[in-house]
Amino acid sequence: METTGSVGMLLQILIGGIATGSIYAVVGLGFTLLYRAMKMVNFAQGHVFMAGTFLGLIIANRFALPAIPLLLIVMVLAFLIGVVLERIVFRRLYHDHDVFIVGAIGLGIVLMNTVRVFFPEPVPFPKVFGERLVEFGGARFQEAYLWVIGCTVVLVALLHSFFTYTRHGRAMRAVASDAEIAGTVGVNVPRAIAHIFGLTFAVAAGAGVLIGPLYFVSFDMGDMVGLKAFAAAVLGGINSVPGTILGGIAIGLLENLAGTYISSAYKDLVAFVILLAMLVFRPNGLLGTSTPVKV
Amino acid sequence: MTHQPTIRFGRLCAALAVLLVLPFVAPNYVIHVANFVLIMTLPVIGLGFITGFTGRVSLSQGAIFGVGAYVTALLTTKLGWSPLATFAPAVLGAITVGTALGGPAMRLAGLYFVMATIGIQQIVWIVLLNAVEFTGGPQGVRSIPAVGVGGFEIDSTFSFYFLALAMATASYMLAKRIIASRMGLRLRAISDDELASSAVAIDVTRNKVLALVLCSGWAGAGGFLYAHYVRYIHPDMFTLEPSILLLTMSMFGGYRSLEGMLVATAILESATEYLRPFGEFRMIAYGMLLLLGMMFFPKGVLSLFPRRSPKPAQLVKERTSDA
Repeated sequence: METTGSVGMLLQILIGGIATGSIYAVVGLGFTLLYRAMKMVNFAQGHVFMAGTFLGLIIANRFALPAIPLLLIVMVLAFLIGVVLERIVFRRLYHDHDVFIVGAIGLGIVLMNTVRVFFPEPVPFPKVFGERLVEFGGARFQEAYLWVIGCTVVLVALLHSFFTYTRHGRAMRAVASDAEIAGTVGVNVPRAIAHIFGLTFAVAAGAGVLIGPLYFVSFDMGDMVGLKAFAAAVLGGINSVPGTILGGIAIGLLENLAGTYISSAYKDLVAFVILLAMLVFRPNGLLGTSTPVKV
Repeated sequence: MTHQPTIRFGRLCAALAVLLVLPFVAPNYVIHVANFVLIMTLPVIGLGFITGFTGRVSLSQGAIFGVGAYVTALLTTKLGWSPLATFAPAVLGAITVGTALGGPAMRLAGLYFVMATIGIQQIVWIVLLNAVEFTGGPQGVRSIPAVGVGGFEIDSTFSFYFLALAMATASYMLAKRIIASRMGLRLRAISDDELASSAVAIDVTRNKVLALVLCSGWAGAGGFLYAHYVRYIHPDMFTLEPSILLLTMSMFGGYRSLEGMLVATAILESATEYLRPFGEFRMIAYGMLLLLGMMFFPKGVLSLFPRRSPKPAQLVKERTSDA
C-alpha cells in the first residue's frame, strides 16, 4: 500500500483491530449472558459461531439476499436451534461446571466435524457487504470492516434496550440475578434460560455472518475465535456486558498492534497471556463486579 | 466414590499377570494400542492429583505432557543425550513449566481455575508452534532415538510394551503410596473442605501447589515415554484436544478412584485408536462420546457399578448436597 504513511498504517491497524475486536466482543457476549444466568461456560460457543457462518453461507448461496435480511434470518434460525439444544442437550449437563464444560466441548467437536464432512476445504463467502475499498485519512480497508463495526454497535444497542425496556428482557435479568426468587414472582425460569441459550447462539451466529465475507471460511475457524472471545469476556469481567465489549475491542486492538509492531508469529499469544494474567491478578475483570472466586 | 488408599496386592498381581501374558497372545496392533493406553495412564494419574484431591479441573495436562515430550526430544536429537539420561530433565521441565504457569492460578476456585488452565494450554502450544529455531516449530522433531538399556534398543512395539507397563505400574504404585501418605491425607482434606483443613493447620496453598507439582511431573514422565514411542512429535499433538481427552479419562473414572481412571483410560484411549480409520466420523463419534457420557453418566462410568455400602459420612454429604 504505497499511499499509506505511518499514520495511515496505524489507523488501518486500529480499524482492523476494532473490527476483529467487535467479533470477539459479540461472541464473548454469549459467554457473558450464559455466565450471568447459569454460572456456566459454554465452550461450544466458538463452534456455534463457525456453524453460524456456514448457515449464512448455505442460505446466501441458495438465495441472493442482501446483508441485513441474511443476518436476521441466520440469527433467528440460530436462536431456535439454541432453544432446542438447550431442551435436549444442555439441560442434562447442569450437574456442575466440569460436566457442563466437557459436555459442551463434546458438542463443539460434533459441530465442527459435522461441518467438516460437508466442507472439508476452506470456501469463499459471498461478498454480501460489498467489495469497495474505503479510503479514510490515509488508511485503506474493505467496506466490510465498517459493516462489522456498525452491526456490532446496533446489535449491542438492541440487546441493551431489550434487557432494559422489555418485560421479557427484564425477566431474563431477574433469572440471572436470582433464579429462585424470579420463579416465585412468576417468571417462567426454564423458558427464560432456554431463551438465554437461544440469544447466545444468535449473537454467535450473527458474528459468524459478519466475519464471513472478510476471510475464507473453514470448519476450524471457531476454535481460536471462541477461546479469544472467552479471554475477552474474562478481561472485561465475565459477568459484565459492557466489560465484555470493552474486553473484546481491547484484545482485538492489542493483538493487531502486537502482530504488526512486535511479532506476527506470537499475535495469537496476546489474548491468552491477558487471560491468564487477568485471572491471576484481577479475576473480576476490568468492569466486573465482585464474585467470591478466591479461596 | 470412596477411595481405597491401600494397594490390593492380590488384584494387582492378577492384573499384572494378565497384562504380562497379553503381548505374547495378542496381535501387534493390539499391543500398539495397549502401548498408548499405558502411556496415557501416566498423565491421567497425574491429573488425578489435581482433580481428585484438590477438587480442581485442569485443561492444560496435554500441554504439560507435550513439554515433557519436547524436552526429551530436543535433548536427544539436538544435544545427543542418551534417552535414559533425559528422563529426569523431562520430568523437571514439565514440573517447572506446569508450576510456573499454573502455580499462581491454584488459588482460583473451580470454574476460574479451568479458565486459567485453558490459557496455559494455549500459551504452551503457541510457543511450541512458533519458537521455530528452538522447537522446530510446525516441522516438529523427527527421528527421536529409542530408549536403550544396556545396549538393548527398545525400538519395537513388543519390547516397548514392557517398558511402558513397568513405568505405568511403578507410577500407579507410587501414586497410591503418595495418596496413602500424610500428604495424600492433607490433599484429601483440602478437597473436602479447604476452610476446615486450614483450620487444622494444613497449609492449603503449599499443598495445592505440591499437587500441581505431582500432576506436572507425571505428565512429564508420560511425555518422555510418548516421545520415545512415536519417535516424531509435532506441536499439534499437544493442543487443547488431548487435554480434553485426558480430563475426560480422569472424569469418566470417577473422582478419587485411580483404578476407575485406569479403566476409563483403557476404554477411551483404545476407542479413539480403533476409531482412527474413520477420519472425521471418528471425531464426531468422539464428540458424541464426551457429550452423551457427560449427559448420562456425570459421575463416571464406574458409577454404573455402585459400591456395596457407602460410608455414613458420605451418605450425609450426599443428602446435604441434594438439599
